[in-house]
Amino acid sequence: MSVLWSHCISKLEGELPPQQFNTWIRPLQAVEDGGELRLLAPNRFVLDWVKQHFIGKIEEVVSEQNRDSAPNVVLEIGSRAAEAAQMRSANPPRKTAPARKQVPNNLNSAFIFGNFVEGKSNQLAKAASLQVAQNVGRAYNPLFIYGGVGLGKTHLMHAIGNEILRGNPAANIVYLHSERFVSDMVKALQHNAINAFKEFYRTVDALLIDDIQFFAGKERSQEEFFHTFNTLLENKHQVVLTCDRYPKEIKGLEERLKSRFGWGLPVAIEPPDLETRVAILMSKAQQSGIDLSPEVAFFIGKRIRSNIRELEGALRRVIANAQFTGRPITLEFAKEALRDLIALQDRMINVENIQKTVSEYFKIRQADLLSNKRTRSLTRPRQIAMALSKELTSHSLPEIGQMFGGRDHTTVLHACRKVQELKESDARFMEDFSNLLRILSN
Amino acid sequence: MAQQIPLHFAVDPLQTFETYWAGPNAEAAEAARRSARGEGDTLLYLWGDTGLGKTHLVNAACREAFHNGRSAACLPLALIGECGPAVLEGMENQNLVCLDDIDTIAGRDDWERQLFGLFNAMRDAGNTLLITATAPPAELPVALPDLKTRLAWGLVLRLHPLTDEHKLAALERRAGMLGLDLSPRVGRFLLSHCRRDMASLQALLEELDHASLAAKRRLTVPFIKGYLEDIA
Repeated sequence: MSVLWSHCISKLEGELPPQQFNTWIRPLQAVEDGGELRLLAPNRFVLDWVKQHFIGKIEEVVSEQNRDSAPNVVLEIGSRAAEAAQMRSANPPRKTAPARKQVPNNLNSAFIFGNFVEGKSNQLAKAASLQVAQNVGRAYNPLFIYGGVGLGKTHLMHAIGNEILRGNPAANIVYLHSERFVSDMVKALQHNAINAFKEFYRTVDALLIDDIQFFAGKERSQEEFFHTFNTLLENKHQVVLTCDRYPKEIKGLEERLKSRFGWGLPVAIEPPDLETRVAILMSKAQQSGIDLSPEVAFFIGKRIRSNIRELEGALRRVIANAQFTGRPITLEFAKEALRDLIALQDRMINVENIQKTVSEYFKIRQADLLSNKRTRSLTRPRQIAMALSKELTSHSLPEIGQMFGGRDHTTVLHACRKVQELKESDARFMEDFSNLLRILSN
Repeated sequence: MAQQIPLHFAVDPLQTFETYWAGPNAEAAEAARRSARGEGDTLLYLWGDTGLGKTHLVNAACREAFHNGRSAACLPLALIGECGPAVLEGMENQNLVCLDDIDTIAGRDDWERQLFGLFNAMRDAGNTLLITATAPPAELPVALPDLKTRLAWGLVLRLHPLTDEHKLAALERRAGMLGLDLSPRVGRFLLSHCRRDMASLQALLEELDHASLAAKRRLTVPFIKGYLEDIA
């Protein structure tokens, strides 16, 4: 931090409204370069705004601070972090292996197989990922992991990268988000560096690209990726991709890419079941050094079922509240800490809402769902709606029966058992049930 | 009933954690302070009605970060939303980025995409995001599910409205900072006769400070009545 700029900041802070100051002046990062004070703005927008509105004021304050030899104030787009990275790659330290070792692999070392909680919903994806990490380029190529948001795809992807590095610290691995691939390519095109870009990606040992659904509609990127992809596969280098859906279902993606994505092994990650959610909570709590009782973990796991991010968010809320108040995490405490979240869910998920959603899903009339009609096309949706009501709300069996056209509680109980049975025996039924669960809990 | 009080455009005093009247929101304020310093959660999402001091907290966080050697930027999206999402570019290199009033850009595809990119880049860089909104993540009309789930990932805290006792205490302290003598009777009068959100109350207090100074009179109920009639 430049001392001069630090003084200027204190001065300017007292003279400008806080919001303007924090939006336009605070983000400027200063570098003192001999006779220059270079102020780095995050983007063109901030730069222009500062030039138009504040540069006079800044220059005034700078010369006040340094009457004898006030440096020239220069505004540029950039950041200290970016400049430091550039310096590193321009002057690689001696005695290190090849220059490309300097390129960050972007892997998050916290995501490893050891802390990936396994359950029925993600078993296959984990097993395949482990295989790939231990037999780079030879097991499944590409490995294509797909599933809804917040279910652990990114965790597995980083775990693969970290595991490969554990076996071979010299491996060239690059993890990046598909949007980053696109923006890097656009930058490379702008700076006439597309060949270096191609060369870079086509020579890595393993390329891990997250959320490739964002390639949709970006033809030039798809084209570039297609060639990169082919080169990597031909050379038996590993490619791992994640996506929010099955390859064939990605709209706006070229057919040849869709078909190639399916060449290796597409594996799905499903939303975790209750036991897995509880295991995830226990594991996360342990990582934070918190002793979480199974009772509390079951309570949170039962209430938060949409995705793992929300589950982690809820746990974070409980832990933060406990640390702030210094109280132990009991069931009562957790209920209190998550009161807002639960109230919100209750507002969004109630029996009427479930009936409406199920009717729309099966394209039947809501009135028929509550009627006495007993055709198969109505009884199944009715049973599903009852089972969902039992699972997602805190109503009792008699209450639910009452809300379904005054039925007996044994009818509701029968529906719940029937649904459980069908979920296990009928894949199609299971899919409908999961879809509804996802619609309702998101 | 008094008409809307015109906003007073004097330079605000520094908005810091010390001048934030936390009341029932002490946990949120402490979480913001810790996140700003780089000690707490790297994603903090504060939500609540307008007038509870979200912007004050955000400004305080920027200052706190800076005094702990961390770079910081605040993006008041309600004010700069029209600038377009390019204003987020390069922000991942700040140690702390505050996105104030994120609800104003929810549902706008270009903004959501850019924000999603910023979110991932900041996470990769280990930097901190502090977000404020008027609704919790689940109730924000965010269209991109990838973004929506990420918003619920961090520590989500609600800001609760201040009770009248809290508001009174906050006003008294604010008056003290302005060097103004505010009797409980006058404080209660303000609460029952004017716009009751803290931002309006504080703005009014500053106006009254100027007015009483100009008129060389003490702050009494008759003086305030006269002032409110004059500006009505």
